[in-house]
Amino acid sequence: MPVIWVMIMLSVRNLNAYYGESHVLRDVAVSVKQGEVVVMLGPNGHGKSTLLKSICGLVDQITGRINYKEEPITGMATENIVNLGLIYIAENRELFPHMTVLENLKLGAYAKNARPHEKGNLEWVFDLFPRLVERRKQLASTMSGGEARMLAVARGLMSNADFLCIDEPSLGLQPSLRHEIFSIIKQISKEGKTVLLVEQNIPQITELADRIYVMEEGQISFEGDKDEALGNEHLREIFLGM
Amino acid sequence: MFSEDTILLLYEITDVIIAGLSMGSVYALMAVGMTLVYGVTKAFNFAYGDFFNMGGYFAWILIFGLGFQFMGYLGVLIIVMPLMFAVGYALEKLMIAPLRKREDWENKVMMLTLGLALFLTSLYTVVFGVRMKSLPPIWEGTLEIGQLVFAYQDIMIFVLSLGGIGLLGWMLNNTRIGMAVQAVAQNPVGAKIVGIPKERIFASTFAISTVMVGFGGILLSQKYFINPMSGGTIMIKAWVVTAFGGMGSIRGGLYAAFIIGMMEALVGWVFGLSYGIIALFILLIATLVFRPQGLMGKGG
Repeated sequence: MPVIWVMIMLSVRNLNAYYGESHVLRDVAVSVKQGEVVVMLGPNGHGKSTLLKSICGLVDQITGRINYKEEPITGMATENIVNLGLIYIAENRELFPHMTVLENLKLGAYAKNARPHEKGNLEWVFDLFPRLVERRKQLASTMSGGEARMLAVARGLMSNADFLCIDEPSLGLQPSLRHEIFSIIKQISKEGKTVLLVEQNIPQITELADRIYVMEEGQISFEGDKDEALGNEHLREIFLGM
Repeated sequence: MFSEDTILLLYEITDVIIAGLSMGSVYALMAVGMTLVYGVTKAFNFAYGDFFNMGGYFAWILIFGLGFQFMGYLGVLIIVMPLMFAVGYALEKLMIAPLRKREDWENKVMMLTLGLALFLTSLYTVVFGVRMKSLPPIWEGTLEIGQLVFAYQDIMIFVLSLGGIGLLGWMLNNTRIGMAVQAVAQNPVGAKIVGIPKERIFASTFAISTVMVGFGGILLSQKYFINPMSGGTIMIKAWVVTAFGGMGSIRGGLYAAFIIGMMEALVGWVFGLSYGIIALFILLIATLVFRPQGLMGKGG
């Protein structure tokens, strides 16, 4: 078998994160290869979001080592991390409510490295989310939950990032929209982006994931590819809902 | 037709309206600067009025201290405005930014800027003395339409203040940094996520507000006087305008500024100038009692 060298895009080692007194992440190790879709499952409030936020420089108290494209980014300011091509797409969307869809998207391309690609990326996200084209003059605050979620993902893509940290994209969406957003993420991955995705318990997730991690009480309790995950009774029952 | 008295009265009323408009426009300039900083950083700058003096004093040093004459007031503005920006930016970076990492920093910023206000007042007293200073009019002479007389100075104050506000509005909506300022005001977390350098935006916003109030200082010191204490009065006025308009609402601040400018001119005409400040406080109390969120504020 030929050996194919694949770059490790992201490697997290011994990551500990704290919110004040509470110790949220305990010695977490995660690695993501280029082009992969890695899904982090686990119950609510066990540190999945904190992991994504720590990677993207949104948590103040962290220790450990986070490398992106073999460069240490631990403790770096978010704006510099975004500029390296890593973007966080928030579960609660964090849009700019009194701005239009188009203005939100343009601000998505604020990072220096994203600016030259703004036009091209705008066309790309309008292709991916045709619904946003009709709504581009609409204020973000007047959008429905599903559309706002689409806008949040689209705004993240505007950053020209190679690596997307997507936090519970299906949260609060009806099944058809959920399906739509997963197929869009699949397409994004096919176009060469690497994805680290956080979800709670979604049956369809195995269609999307190359590899799966499970996080419980701030620690990684399972790591494996899709087949291993499906072969694991505990996992099937609790997180995949089968 | 009209008796002579009625016509005289009409002239007086016109004078009052012009005074109200020119005052109102400068208040608008200052209130917009104040509301902008509040909207973006959610912290209150008590030294705001002292930057009003600073603008006036910088211009005074240039014109009378250094005998600067290049291009008249335009030259003065070209030098003083960037200087005000630099002072505001540096103060934010050196004094306010370090506080922001601490708990309860909004209150600490208030205390710090209150101290800064006292310091600046004393500094001005030492450097310039307590005597009043005034700047020459930006444009001398009057415009006469029939019996009506308008001072060019008032017209210039009005035009330049509105021009300053217009320029700010244009910047906020049409430049990358302006959109970033709005983004931070609307959703600081969202702004951070997309990679907007929040610290730099905070400092720039503070600096822009310093420029606006300093510009107001240059404009008003031509008509009135500045002394080391006048910052306090200006601070109160800018605050009342901002509170009356609704904290963080730029449009509310604009309406409020003209209403208050007019009110002051009217009260001054009917009861005497010193009653202006009393009327201001009555308005403030009424606002806080009946509409605490202000004219266009969002919620209480």
